[in-house]
Amino acid sequence: MKKLKLLTVLTIITIILAACGSKNNESGNSNSASGDDVTYLIASDASYAPMEFMDKDKITGFDIDFLAEVMKEAGLKYEVKNVGWDALMESVRQGTEYKAAISAVSITDERQETYDFSAPYFESTNMILVKEGSGIKSATDLKGKKVAVQQGTTADDLMTGIMGQGNTDLSRFENNALALMEMDQGGVDAVVADIAIVREYMKNNPDKNYEGLLDETNFVSEFYGVLLPKGSELKAKLDPAIKTVIENGTYAEVYKKWFGEEPDTAALLSAE
Amino acid sequence: MTWMDFRFDIIIDYLPLILRGALYTIGISLGSILLGSILGLVISLGKMSRPWYFRWPASIYINFFRGTPLLVQIFLVHFCVVPILWGKSDPLVAAVAALSLNAAAYTAEIYRAGIMSIDRGQTEAAYSLGMTHAQAMRLVILPQAIRRMVPAFGNEFITLVKDSSLVAVIAAPEIMYWSKAMSAQYYRVWEPYLTAALIYFILTYLLGKLLSYMERKV
Repeated sequence: MKKLKLLTVLTIITIILAACGSKNNESGNSNSASGDDVTYLIASDASYAPMEFMDKDKITGFDIDFLAEVMKEAGLKYEVKNVGWDALMESVRQGTEYKAAISAVSITDERQETYDFSAPYFESTNMILVKEGSGIKSATDLKGKKVAVQQGTTADDLMTGIMGQGNTDLSRFENNALALMEMDQGGVDAVVADIAIVREYMKNNPDKNYEGLLDETNFVSEFYGVLLPKGSELKAKLDPAIKTVIENGTYAEVYKKWFGEEPDTAALLSAE
Repeated sequence: MTWMDFRFDIIIDYLPLILRGALYTIGISLGSILLGSILGLVISLGKMSRPWYFRWPASIYINFFRGTPLLVQIFLVHFCVVPILWGKSDPLVAAVAALSLNAAAYTAEIYRAGIMSIDRGQTEAAYSLGMTHAQAMRLVILPQAIRRMVPAFGNEFITLVKDSSLVAVIAAPEIMYWSKAMSAQYYRVWEPYLTAALIYFILTYLLGKLLSYMERKV
């Protein structure tokens, strides 16, 4: 009796999962059928100021402005929606509703196993946020210290590599706001996050006496790309538009608006 | 945290959205309470019936929805069940569906506990008066059982209102969703989450009042 019950439960779960799988396959075909007059739905996790965030009920940020320029160049209609990180990853993998995502997604080998990426459009690196005079100079100094990161980010990957899997001194939070909160409350000695995030936080909290450290040996440059489903036809349309926007100076304007300085586009154009 | 730098200004900025979110929270909760209670009744009848083909599915249902995390159920409903049945994912539909399915498992057990708590002798007495099983249920057992169920339902409904905050992960624009957006915009934690907590408290307090009024009425 017990075994039969268990078997029934397993069967039902398998059927549900199988149904999801098949749904996904059908979508691959309809994908290529869509013409240029369609409105592309683009997902974002707007909790990553200043890259993308909600300003009241409007989504904004560097990525959003940049995407607007690229889509104008490519002549595509689109709509960006804030769907959250988990939903973003799954929706773009399925590729039925959302055809792409722009959300400061770093191009990594692991992600390329499941997704395609557009040409790189942003160079970033991770930055260590510490209290002034902490004596911490590099990422390796963080061994034995308490560190907070956002779950699933490249900062999480890098610090897991340095501090070791299962090291409880590394706290992984659902988002950077919680990680930074932990640091303010003295729970950790450092937060590692994308440079844009750390700078934004220091700018907003000048009285907290924090400093941001770069570590070029441990934290190499990484590039953001537009996240696409495997085999997406959008890549062929987006890549030339991205290249044009970077080369014709529009990119520098958007960059200056959000970061107040000139971008180094040479690395971006040669990165591919 | 120093209370000196508590940013009331950003709360005021977001308040219209959070209040609109509260309407969604109320809608999602009421919908789920209603659907969950109806589905729960069906499942509890299934579990209490004699034939195995009613009893087993009901048992499996209750075990599954009580035994797996609500968060996972929300993801399953949002990314699998709703897209298959509805054609596309929809956060609000998924929110109500997942919370209803989950609540049904708990309310089913509340119905069963209420009915089982009435002494078996009363059913037998009703039978000896010539009543059918349905009559005995409707006229003798249920009126007494419902009175015993109300406090347990109150607990379940209040839990459901707070559990509805989980649907923020699928971007249903309720209270917690806007609180998270506010937190992410300003990298601040207390202003959004304490505001959310206060609104949830007001909602559950009012619901508690309503339920204790009903307890006296029933």
